[in-house]
Amino acid sequence: MGFSFDLLFQGFVTALSWQNLLWALVGCFIGTLVGVLPGIGPASGIAILLPMTTVLPPTSAIIMMAAIYYGAMYGGSTTAIVVNIPGEASSVPTCIDGYEMAKQGRAGPALAISAVSSFFAGTLGLFGLTFFAPLLADFAVVFGPPEYFALMLMALTLIISLSGRALLKGVISMALGLIVSLIGQDPLTGATRLTFGSPKLLAGIDFISVIVGLFAISEVMINVESKIASITQKIGRWLPTFWADTKQCLGTMLRCTGVGFFLGLLPGVTPSVTTFVAYDLEKRVSKHPERFGHGAIEGVAAPEGANNATSTAGFVPLFSFGLPTAPSMAVLLGGLMMYGLQPGPMLFKQNPQFVWAVIASMYIGNVMLLVLNLPLVGMWAKICVIPFYILGPLIVFFSVLGTYSIRFIAFDVWVMLIFGVIGYFMRKLGFPVAPMVLATVIAQMMETSLGQSLLISQGSPLIFFTRPISAVFMGLAILSIGRGIWIQVRSKAPEVAIEESD
Amino acid sequence: MEWQRTPEDSVYSEVVVKTLRPVDIAVGCFLALLGLFIIYEASLIRMGVARSLSPRTIPYALGFLISFCGIGLAVKSWRFRGEDPKINWPNREGVGIILVQLICLACYITLMNPLGLPLSTFLYVTFSIWCLKLSKRGMTMAIVIGLFFGIISYYVFIQLLGLSFPAGFLFE
Repeated sequence: MGFSFDLLFQGFVTALSWQNLLWALVGCFIGTLVGVLPGIGPASGIAILLPMTTVLPPTSAIIMMAAIYYGAMYGGSTTAIVVNIPGEASSVPTCIDGYEMAKQGRAGPALAISAVSSFFAGTLGLFGLTFFAPLLADFAVVFGPPEYFALMLMALTLIISLSGRALLKGVISMALGLIVSLIGQDPLTGATRLTFGSPKLLAGIDFISVIVGLFAISEVMINVESKIASITQKIGRWLPTFWADTKQCLGTMLRCTGVGFFLGLLPGVTPSVTTFVAYDLEKRVSKHPERFGHGAIEGVAAPEGANNATSTAGFVPLFSFGLPTAPSMAVLLGGLMMYGLQPGPMLFKQNPQFVWAVIASMYIGNVMLLVLNLPLVGMWAKICVIPFYILGPLIVFFSVLGTYSIRFIAFDVWVMLIFGVIGYFMRKLGFPVAPMVLATVIAQMMETSLGQSLLISQGSPLIFFTRPISAVFMGLAILSIGRGIWIQVRSKAPEVAIEESD
Repeated sequence: MEWQRTPEDSVYSEVVVKTLRPVDIAVGCFLALLGLFIIYEASLIRMGVARSLSPRTIPYALGFLISFCGIGLAVKSWRFRGEDPKINWPNREGVGIILVQLICLACYITLMNPLGLPLSTFLYVTFSIWCLKLSKRGMTMAIVIGLFFGIISYYVFIQLLGLSFPAGFLFE
């Protein structure tokens, strides 16, 4: 079941069909657009489009969704460099040196190195995905329900403990996400749960309405409070210094790929975290750290490479264990489940054509993104000045279309509106959104594996500690919660979550 | 993922600022009550066939967890004596704009079935852009953009993709 060149080759054959190439290109284009435009991120972008992809075959749909995710990582740097507005939270460190370069008339070289570093790290990360994911899937074959429950619990606790100083708020956010997904009928007994007497809640709440509300609608609500700055920088020519800049940043690109990829394998470590780590590392190893913050080209290459390596690394636990490490991955997991595909070790065994086609399409997508981002950088820079009084209503329009097309009932759109308001207050009050999103998506799998585990052990919860792999995961879960409590006790600071990326 | 927010380009010159501590105490108390309500609702779940994991177990556990964390949040905030973080709430004008946008969205959802997707989209996009721009030139632009997306919603999403959106009396 492990890696074989034959399977990868077959994947390339599938990915190179004109339909899949077209959908990969559409995904790369939408992804770059989502990255360029502030106010909409990859999680909401994918969630909005997911229900509308039902007209496509599963492989084409997931190829497009994946391309939106890694395409957004490319696009986020454009506004960060040209107008000092990060298109995504992961592009915040890019602003530091990228905008300085733009002010010095070197926006072109900054955008070029950003695209090249993204391509380099994305492609190297894909090698990691190609070889690591089947290996991990082989390992995960021995996983039973207790191991899966412990793994998902560990992922949730890691995400909560990485929410900054907001441990209690993180736990509340997770618990609310789990409660939301419990609403409706019990999948095993058919008993109605937490419907509060409303017949509309019998069918449950769809996670897409929750995610679109939490990310897209709340972001629109926050952004109508501000207005956009206008472009003042000239792009400048990037070709004359291209090879010299690339040569100068080669070491940086290798280091940031390593940082981004290996940290990105962990749940909760999103690109917005690894970009800061990569930037900081590059500053430390640099012979001229004083140049950082004043237009150092390595300061652009490092975060841009790291976010692409991280986004690729997120596919390793998703494909091998069925474990989402970030909100965008949770939406992709939901997409896979929507198509009746169960990510995890059996995905490589039962649907090898699908999984290898998606992996192969990512190699192709990276080349497409390089082509889209290098020559067309001026176009992307112009798109980012669409004023929010136009962009906001259009984001809402697409959000409504996306949520309505889940089940074609207005109830789902009302749910989206309610969660938009909840998301707005969560952001204002420093509640992390990521634990809620992840909990909403994986709740059903957690409940099923918990039920099956207790059935095996005849009701004894000790099963999670007597099996070695699940005991390790439970131990890590307890450690990460312990770490969170320790930070809380030591800091004595108020509960405020760190800025999140979707 | 944020717009550049600087004092000089803020739409609203006065921003109502309140601190997090009192809000956290109130939210903590609310969550404690919400947890209790969930526990009560969980007690109404019919047990059905006996199995290893009762349908009440997880809702009970989560209700207790929310209640406990809510109390913890309220107590922690109440005991906190350091520098209190500020919350940048929008001022009255900002609240008004957000409310108008939410009302526009609520009307959009309500009108989608009786009027159909194209017409309700045209009305929503037009009014929403106009409300945010609020100028004579803005109205013309809003109508053009609204019309464009109303037509797109019909030809792309209903005709081309064949999705089951309500077309409305104009297109039936």
